[in-house]
Amino acid sequence: MQAKTIALFMALILTAGALQFHYDTQVEYFAERQAFVTLPDGKTLKVLSFGYRNLVADFLFIWAIQFYSATHITNRFDYIENIFDVITDLNPRFKAPYLVGSWIMGLEGGRYRMAIRLLEKGARNNPEEWIFEYDAGFYAYRDLKDLELAEKLFKQAAERPNAPPLIRRKWAHMVYMQDNLDYAFRLWKEIERSADDQLSRDSAFHHLYQIDFERDKQLLKRAIGEFRRRFGRNPAELAELRVRGILKEIPRDYQGRDYRYDPESGTIKARRNYKWKSSY
Amino acid sequence: MKILAIARNTFREAVRNKVFYLLLFFGVFFAFSSRFVSMLSVGDQQKVLMDVGLASIHFFSVLVAIFTGINLVYKEIEKKTIYNILSKPITRLEFVLGKFTGLALTLLVALASMALLFFLFLFVTTGSFAPRCLIFFGLLYIELLIITSLSLVFSSFSTPILSSIFTVTLYLVGQVLWTFQEFKTRLHEPFSRYVATALYYLLPNLDKFNVKNEVVMEMELSGGRLLAAAAYGVVYVAALLTLAVVIFRRRELN
Repeated sequence: MQAKTIALFMALILTAGALQFHYDTQVEYFAERQAFVTLPDGKTLKVLSFGYRNLVADFLFIWAIQFYSATHITNRFDYIENIFDVITDLNPRFKAPYLVGSWIMGLEGGRYRMAIRLLEKGARNNPEEWIFEYDAGFYAYRDLKDLELAEKLFKQAAERPNAPPLIRRKWAHMVYMQDNLDYAFRLWKEIERSADDQLSRDSAFHHLYQIDFERDKQLLKRAIGEFRRRFGRNPAELAELRVRGILKEIPRDYQGRDYRYDPESGTIKARRNYKWKSSY
Repeated sequence: MKILAIARNTFREAVRNKVFYLLLFFGVFFAFSSRFVSMLSVGDQQKVLMDVGLASIHFFSVLVAIFTGINLVYKEIEKKTIYNILSKPITRLEFVLGKFTGLALTLLVALASMALLFFLFLFVTTGSFAPRCLIFFGLLYIELLIITSLSLVFSSFSTPILSSIFTVTLYLVGQVLWTFQEFKTRLHEPFSRYVATALYYLLPNLDKFNVKNEVVMEMELSGGRLLAAAAYGVVYVAALLTLAVVIFRRRELN
């Protein structure tokens, strides 16, 4: 009797397995498909969560991670801003959704402006955190190539408490990249003065050298142009600019050495050459 | 002494109740399952772990309070054991207070057990202790006392099913009572505004005790706010117990 019952059980289990196999052949689990997601706004959901808004935010966030991992859902990005808005409305201090949401929006969906909006919301709701504006600045710089926006965001991040020195360097670099050379020089000088690590000191030195060179290059270019206008040729050496009274003094590089001058072409070169702008 | 004797019996009776153990088990089970839930998250895993753990303890301790509370008086009447008790020199006030004290003790033991397991679990999984959670447990206990008092009021004149419906409804309303402040501003008629204001002050504002977010996110919690919430809870419990005594005194026991 016992053996018969066990045999029956085994037969039923095998049949269930066979039916499951048959079912799977009928269904395309990962076929391309559309999803429809609708959520009440954060304020309403806060009420509907009856005191468990953190938990609802956690579960929505975990669900969102799974949803955005389902790459076969082609229209999943249609809802992303609303979903992460609701999560962050429910729990404005929950930091992971701002960061993860912006990664998905930006890196996967290519929606960098949207990612920046979410990160700016994170910064508003968590004023003690620098990471949101730092990440946003990074998207603005690297992906949107919007140097003005990147400068604004890095500046805001640098002014947050406990912001690491790297952010101030990013901010100063953005100012340099926009050719605001005097302002950039002041910022890098300040970084050099307050640096307490070798990396900051080295970075400040490289920038100060390059900015100084670019400012001198502009000055020398103008002076050589003036020389050419007056004498119909390039100066044989830079010292001629001083001898002919065009410049009171010939500028030197940040380390006090002479620039290299080619009288044939009238071009000036520094001993060090940083290609940040040309490689951007 | 009489109150304590009734309290002791109520406590014994409550801990013998299978529902009590079942809810306790689920509370602990879900608190522990937070580990698996947090693993599904990306970043802030300790926060998710604490959120799920504290929410599970909150939810299941509220269920313990409701389901053990609603049977308090009703069972005594149904089993007719109340006649034995009240035939002795025990007033109805002492009876109600004894029942309440017994259940308050039961809830204290249940909550303390869940909190202890939660702290142990948190320490083992994250290596941190999060002592701020004690603030949450303290305020949760006051919230549980309000729920117990509510269920005591309802169970003193109604059946367990109706009592549980009333208590659960008031619990849910209590969690969202803060919305009445905004709701009032949308009402145009003065009378409706007065009614909304009256309800706001009359109904239990349980959101005052919900500091899960502040505790988990390490946000500022002023001593004044905590004291005000605790004082509000104590006074509200006293008011509900008074109401329970008034209702129970008027009740005819045939």
